[in-house]
Amino acid sequence: MIGWLEIPRSWLDSFGEIGSFGLRVAGQVYSGRVFKFFGEGVRQAGILIFGSALIIWAFCFILGLQCGLQGAYFNRSIGAPSLAGLFSAYCDLREGLPYAFGYILAAKVGTGIVAEIGAMRISDEIDALEVMGIQPVTFLCATRLLGAWIALPFLYLMGIAIIYAASYFSVVNQVGDVSSGGYLLIFWMYQSPTDLIFSLIKGVTMATVIVLVGCYYGYTASGGPVGVGTATAKSMVFNIVAVHILGMLGTLIFWGANPRAPIGG
Amino acid sequence: MAGQALARGLLPAKNVFEEVGVMVILTVRTLVAAARPPYPYGEELVWQFLFVLKLSWFPLVISTFALNFGAPGLQAAGILSLVGGLDRLGGFFVVIAIRWIGPVVTAVVVAGVAGTAITADLGARKIREELDALQVLGVDPVKNLVVPRFLALIVITGLLDVFAIVMGLTAGIAAELLYHQSLGGFFATLFTNATIIDLWSSVMVCTMFGAIVAVVCSYKGMSASGGAAGVGRAVNQAVVISLMAVFFFQFVVSSILFATNPELQAVR
Repeated sequence: MIGWLEIPRSWLDSFGEIGSFGLRVAGQVYSGRVFKFFGEGVRQAGILIFGSALIIWAFCFILGLQCGLQGAYFNRSIGAPSLAGLFSAYCDLREGLPYAFGYILAAKVGTGIVAEIGAMRISDEIDALEVMGIQPVTFLCATRLLGAWIALPFLYLMGIAIIYAASYFSVVNQVGDVSSGGYLLIFWMYQSPTDLIFSLIKGVTMATVIVLVGCYYGYTASGGPVGVGTATAKSMVFNIVAVHILGMLGTLIFWGANPRAPIGG
Repeated sequence: MAGQALARGLLPAKNVFEEVGVMVILTVRTLVAAARPPYPYGEELVWQFLFVLKLSWFPLVISTFALNFGAPGLQAAGILSLVGGLDRLGGFFVVIAIRWIGPVVTAVVVAGVAGTAITADLGARKIREELDALQVLGVDPVKNLVVPRFLALIVITGLLDVFAIVMGLTAGIAAELLYHQSLGGFFATLFTNATIIDLWSSVMVCTMFGAIVAVVCSYKGMSASGGAAGVGRAVNQAVVISLMAVFFFQFVVSSILFATNPELQAVR
């Protein structure tokens, strides 16, 4: 039976290791050593696009529907249904999409990486790589990070289009308190290209952390087939909390002091 | 030829329908096994309940506080401070923290923490052929393994939802204090806007999320196959399907809830 403080204690144990492992992997990418395996990086990007893009976008679509629905009914309850676009703009771009992206990446990509690399570790393939003179950290982890950095910003931008369409559908077609023109006027008024850049930074930071955590738990998996499952579960726990904390920090840094709304002077 | 191409094109849809069908069958079997005597799962139920609670409480507290402080707290307080209406933040938190983020984040945390643990556990037993051994011994795996997890998750998601709401409102108070506002207005609009429907619908929806997570994760664990990679892949699929199902279900339920309860939208 585990204790009440099991989770915080295990994080304290592994936080430094995850940090140094992540820095090592990121260093391999930044120093250009990963470009020896550039083809593998592109292959990982392709796997991300063909394997995960549809699921990521479907999740973004569902969250966009929810944003629109909650916003439309909230604005009806304060007597300003025509301002539903304000809620949707904030919910979609600034908060909803980074969280949706983080959740589904942690679930689909993060645990997928742990399962893959963990299985390689268990069947001693990583040791075999080392014997062949290929650095496993570079070949397995840094290429995945490179692939994520190649593919995910574009998946994120496409996700923005999809979440906008979903909110529009939900507010204008499903609830129908506000006309299409009235909704879009407010909706576009309350966002700017800078917000999009900030949102993209938030999303890609989460993605980087998720990929690194996935690589760490996969790379250090041990204990047979059971160990892979346990490591996958552990990475999900860590990623969920990391996504929330990064989301809060991003909001504090980017919009904490200045809400960036076209109100007043 | 055309029929073959059509069959291949529709294969993903067919697979989805098959998966959903098998999960519904497992749900019904679980409910029947839970209701029909004898009841051998009492000890396991308590054990699973404590296990999930000990694993989930810390991620839940951190997650709900961070999400409510960032998303509705700072963003809404920023724009409300521009129009000079920071006291309306309480009413906003009824919509966000109680109706939406409370159940959803509880479900995400429970799926990510307890659901993955359940799939890893059952998947390991499946890979080591313990489930087959149980069946040979005449012990029903659904009754002895799935039912206690199902019941434990249903009860615990409802309870954790209350803690999620409490932490969410704490985050709202923190955001209000960050803007140097007195808390009287916050609580006044909070209690004016909150209805009893908000609270019970939040808790009921969350128990249903618990049922979804339990069934999906148990099914994926019990059907794991393929050695070391199989358990990891089962956890991966289980958590993706749980999240998609939970979010889709939340959308459907809140649409129905808002459409059938006009007093939730009354101007106060």
